[in-house]
Amino acid sequence: MRCRECAEHLYEYLDREVTPDLEAEIRAHIQKCPPCSEHFDFETLFLKFVRVRCRAQGAPATLRRRILEQLLEE
Amino acid sequence: MTSTPPPASSNPPSSPARSPEERREGFEQEALVHLDALYRVALRLTGTAADAEDLVQETMLRAYRSWERYTLGTNAKGWLLTILRHLFINEYRRKSRHPETVDVDTIEPFALFQEVQEEDPQGAFFDKIVDDEVLRAVDQLPEAFREAVTLSDVEGLSYEEVAKVLDVPVGTVKSRLYRGRRLLQAKLYDYAVNMGYIKGQSKK
Repeated sequence: MRCRECAEHLYEYLDREVTPDLEAEIRAHIQKCPPCSEHFDFETLFLKFVRVRCRAQGAPATLRRRILEQLLEE
Repeated sequence: MTSTPPPASSNPPSSPARSPEERREGFEQEALVHLDALYRVALRLTGTAADAEDLVQETMLRAYRSWERYTLGTNAKGWLLTILRHLFINEYRRKSRHPETVDVDTIEPFALFQEVQEEDPQGAFFDKIVDDEVLRAVDQLPEAFREAVTLSDVEGLSYEEVAKVLDVPVGTVKSRLYRGRRLLQAKLYDYAVNMGYIKGQSKK
């Protein structure tokens, strides 16, 4: 596998949406290619950053109460 | 493995008629546990806390009324998000603050890593960006990208699940995610450069 092909599957790989065969090929390439490895690490960090930062917020307690009260009326 | 054969009916029992208390309890355990996820998605879609709360409340009410149609043990989160999105499109989008002004096919690809790999390949500048700024950057994405990124990257749905909620093919989900992420990176990059977190060269 070449770097370019590897980069084309970057997100599918990180999202765990590739076939086991392709996953193994990509992993093998990354292990022996420092630039690709660095790139994949960076994108992994980016996705984690987005997930953690955007999940910091939850529903207000008042909303939960409103919904529970509403269910009781149904 | 159990030795008992499965019931004759092809569908597993889906919340059979029970007492109101049992029904409510089942709903709380299967559906209400996704309240935070629904609220976050509603907030990204509507843009205001008040609208998001109303949208989630209405979603939960509709879901509760059609609870018998949900099959226990299947993907409750996806089912709820689908209801939420339909409600949003039919009742909230008109007053939404996010008019679609970007032609989503003409967005220039921007790769953050290429811009920062010499200066900060470990992405240390991410730590300096506050939560509100990340949310603001997500909110600035065109709606089609914003919902794909929110469902996949924030709430962790698979491509297949996102495709179901958005009612588009998996290939469309992939391309929206790709471009949405790149656009989000461009916005975060501009912000980080403007704040002096990285030197770079702002795209603006």
